[in-house]
Amino acid sequence: MTLFLQAVADGLQMGLLYALVAVGLAIIWGLMEMINFAHGEFMMLGMFGAWGLSAWLGWDPLVTMVPLAVVMYGAGVLVYRGLMQKVQRGEVFTQIFATVGLFFFIQNGVVALFTSDYRFIEGSLLTRLSGANLSLGGIRVGVPLLVGGLIALGLFLLLYLLIDRTDFGLALQATAEDRDAAMLVGIRPQRMYAVAWGLGTALVAVAGVILANFFSVYPQAGLSFTVLAYAIVALGGFGSILGTLLAALLVGVVQSVTAAYLPPAFKDAFVFGSYILIGLFRPQGLFGRF
Amino acid sequence: MAAALVALLYPIPFERSGQIYYETVGFLVLLNAMLGIGWNVIGGWAGQFDFGPSIFFAIGAYTAALLSIHFGWNAWLALLGAVVVSMVICAALTYPVTRLRGHYFAIATVAMWMIAQPIGATWSLINGSQGLFIPVAAGGSFVHGILTMEFPGRGKGLGFYYLSLLLFVVTLLVARVVERSKWGFYFRAVRDDQDGAEAIGIDSRLYKVIARCLMAAIFAAGGTLYGFWALAVFPDQVLEVNWNILPMMAAVVGGLGRLWGPVLGAIVLIPISQLMTATLGSGPLAGRGIDLIIYGAVIMLIAGWRPNGLLSLPWAQWAARFRGRVPAPSGRG
Amino acid sequence: MRILRVIVAVAVLSFVAVQLGPGARAAGPVSEVLIGELLPLTGNFASLGQQYLWAGQTVEDIVNNDYPDLNVPLGPGKGFPGLGGAKMTLVVRDDQSRGDQARTLAEQLITVNKVHWLNGEGTSGNTSIIQPLVDSYGIPMTCHACASPTLTEKGFKWFYRTGPNDSTMVASVFQFLKEWPAHGGPSGLKTIALFTCDNLFCQDNRKIAADLAEKGGYKIVADLTTKTGATTLASEVQRLQAANPDVLFAVQYPAETTVFQADMKRAGYMPKVIATSNGAYSDQTWLTAQKPTAGAAGWLGRDPTAIDLASKKPAWKKVNEIYKKYSRGQDMGELAMREITGLLWMADTINRAKSVEPAALAKAANETDMKPDMMIIDYKGIKFDKNRQNELATGVVTQIGWDDEKHTIWPWDLAAQAGFKPIFPSPSWQERESRSKK
Repeated sequence: MTLFLQAVADGLQMGLLYALVAVGLAIIWGLMEMINFAHGEFMMLGMFGAWGLSAWLGWDPLVTMVPLAVVMYGAGVLVYRGLMQKVQRGEVFTQIFATVGLFFFIQNGVVALFTSDYRFIEGSLLTRLSGANLSLGGIRVGVPLLVGGLIALGLFLLLYLLIDRTDFGLALQATAEDRDAAMLVGIRPQRMYAVAWGLGTALVAVAGVILANFFSVYPQAGLSFTVLAYAIVALGGFGSILGTLLAALLVGVVQSVTAAYLPPAFKDAFVFGSYILIGLFRPQGLFGRF
Repeated sequence: MAAALVALLYPIPFERSGQIYYETVGFLVLLNAMLGIGWNVIGGWAGQFDFGPSIFFAIGAYTAALLSIHFGWNAWLALLGAVVVSMVICAALTYPVTRLRGHYFAIATVAMWMIAQPIGATWSLINGSQGLFIPVAAGGSFVHGILTMEFPGRGKGLGFYYLSLLLFVVTLLVARVVERSKWGFYFRAVRDDQDGAEAIGIDSRLYKVIARCLMAAIFAAGGTLYGFWALAVFPDQVLEVNWNILPMMAAVVGGLGRLWGPVLGAIVLIPISQLMTATLGSGPLAGRGIDLIIYGAVIMLIAGWRPNGLLSLPWAQWAARFRGRVPAPSGRG
Repeated sequence: MRILRVIVAVAVLSFVAVQLGPGARAAGPVSEVLIGELLPLTGNFASLGQQYLWAGQTVEDIVNNDYPDLNVPLGPGKGFPGLGGAKMTLVVRDDQSRGDQARTLAEQLITVNKVHWLNGEGTSGNTSIIQPLVDSYGIPMTCHACASPTLTEKGFKWFYRTGPNDSTMVASVFQFLKEWPAHGGPSGLKTIALFTCDNLFCQDNRKIAADLAEKGGYKIVADLTTKTGATTLASEVQRLQAANPDVLFAVQYPAETTVFQADMKRAGYMPKVIATSNGAYSDQTWLTAQKPTAGAAGWLGRDPTAIDLASKKPAWKKVNEIYKKYSRGQDMGELAMREITGLLWMADTINRAKSVEPAALAKAANETDMKPDMMIIDYKGIKFDKNRQNELATGVVTQIGWDDEKHTIWPWDLAAQAGFKPIFPSPSWQERESRSKK
């Protein structure tokens, strides 16, 4: 029984980290329906940013989170204005094509500057806490992961409030649902998309900053998280921030429990199998609006 | 017509000069063009996002390899077997998920791809990650090679170029027939307005399945060709992400939904990436990924400049200006 | 009009064909020996590929420049003396860790660039894809650090390997474990768990280990295969903890090993013995990253060379200095050492052949009988068996000590020279924390 409960606890912890990575995608893709193949690369840039500032200036990632978020917000807006705005004139599939190019460009740009070596953050608060555990009724909860998870929850709450409770958030949703109607009421769609890209990129970069405390930093680091992030946003349902969070937790738990009892090589396969299974009964995902 | 002649005669100069590599580039262009046409059926005509077509590429390669190794089947029979198996599996897998629409369907195709990977790596029937090897045959004459897909040593480049040309032409013809048939009409109806199509009695789920299975057939044929070319089928090679995105990119670059779109796309993308690798990916700049940086930049430029694909450029007008007279309606097409 | 256009087209093409002509290889003396280097410089195996590249650049430097005091083949003097001072030129291609790219670029290197020798691909899987092709063109091919045994067992006539393969190397680990009790080691090691990634390299190792474990009388209490790119291994750690093996045999790449270690630490799990085979253990970056936390102390694994002894040789030190010019300061690891040794052997063979004709190269290669004193690695020599596998490439077993360096612990004669007492049991996380350098 302990094996199972511990697996669930581990899964929830990882789920919060996955949620952190997925939340940026929930805006760009979940809400604004723009496909971003390069999502994981922005996360990786966040990781490198955190590592770089930590290695050269000794600043803790929890601190550099904020300036990096601002910089990456700018990067996201730049990508939209410079590329995606033009791509929107054409087929939807061209978005994939364009962001594939972005993917190659960013990943190999980092390879050129930093090589493919693995790098690690040392001496930050979270790495120093790395062995610390809380014990809740015999179940182990790692402190640094818990901190990461709490940050993720905090960001989700902020985002939920922004999207669902402010006028700005309503404007974003309106643009996503019906661009022409939104224009009629005075919303400028281009601006909304730019902000969405900025926000989404900033959020996933913050995810990278936090994750850099736990994982090695290297140019190909984005891949394993990205695929899961896509499954999570779709599972949660398009347009629902809450859905993304719950889906992430579900994914974490499925992954963890599968690995505890079945051949571990299949744990991601089971996550995706669950997606299909749930999709057969709820084609809109758990809480999808469209 | 001129294009057909170029395609037929293309390898000859390279054969004379011994630079077989260029024939292989031609092979890759034709293979990816063929796969691109296949992807166009589900993506361009039926308008469904399919990001995991490589599973059918893999099913095709493995089925053909198994039939050849364990039963000694001739390569073409093995290809037929691969196509049939692939279509059956496609139908079984696809019908349930056609309930999902748009991006949800897309993730379902990704899900299938993600599930296929550990199966490929651990299934003992196909030797898991240690791969299946098709025995290197002694080979014979060129004609014998066409009949069995076995080419002796240096004849391989030439042989596979013509094999891929053959399969490409067959695929093109099939696609053209489908495009102009009722099926083609139904596909486009589902793409443009699924609810409207259903309202007039078109079963959208059925036609999505048909479209996808046509793609599966083409990918299986491509996979078979690849298997006999590489003589080794590894799960991480045939399920590799590039087989998912390159055909799609070729179709998009060329012009989504246009018959010749993927062909143009393949002709543009593959030589560029090969050229980049050879010049920027080697020598003192090697290992810095510079070639891929440029490749990515080129892709972004094309996407931003011509989001509807390169076929949307006014080719006919340019050709007319070049020839100095009014363009006659093209005989092809 | 149409027919005329067709005729013109055919004529033009034939003209072009004749111009391009059969590109005969220049007969007679060459001024440049072209070595094809087909490597995974981007993609999954990039961290391996870059070490191979640096190794190649090091050997190119050694051959082409005069290093009078360097006691390795072609150290002193410029270029190939046997070819009138011709220089060595690397022709590098990046295959992005993809098999289809590897095969295509191999064909480019051979038929367009007309390389005289192909070194690559660097990973066993992709190398096996290009073997039939290179064999059909008949030029020598090598992958010194590819460890899969099957590469030399399929009957390819042009593939040479100077490094040991996995059968030898994994066997040395089990041999060490078997003989350890008689040399002051623990005698109660009865259970073993296998923890491997799912690709060709890891699974090859796993099969060999499973086989040897059974023969050695071990009980396999867990056999877990994980997918590469794992973001968490917490449940796997739980299962291993529950199975509680005496020996954990782990074959994982650096990224997954790091995740594994973090999850082990959280769970407070540490088996008595951690034995590995290549993967992270061979990766300099992973080893360097373990230093601040003493994370690798006690890990033991097979190594092609007793690096602590080899690094004392003056030749090793000099070669390392040259290597560091290209590696941005990173020391040679065993991967680079295997590659450099193999490439120097290649240079020596070309020199002895006094020609770049394939037949002459093959003859010189087959006649190789290189003695250990000219090598920076401690094989017993280079001499090929009928499969063109170097039969004098042995393996040793090393262990990482508290000084974060690898020390030889087997065979016993070399271990005595190294003077290091094996650490047992593998230190707990608390001990590592208290002895780490923070």
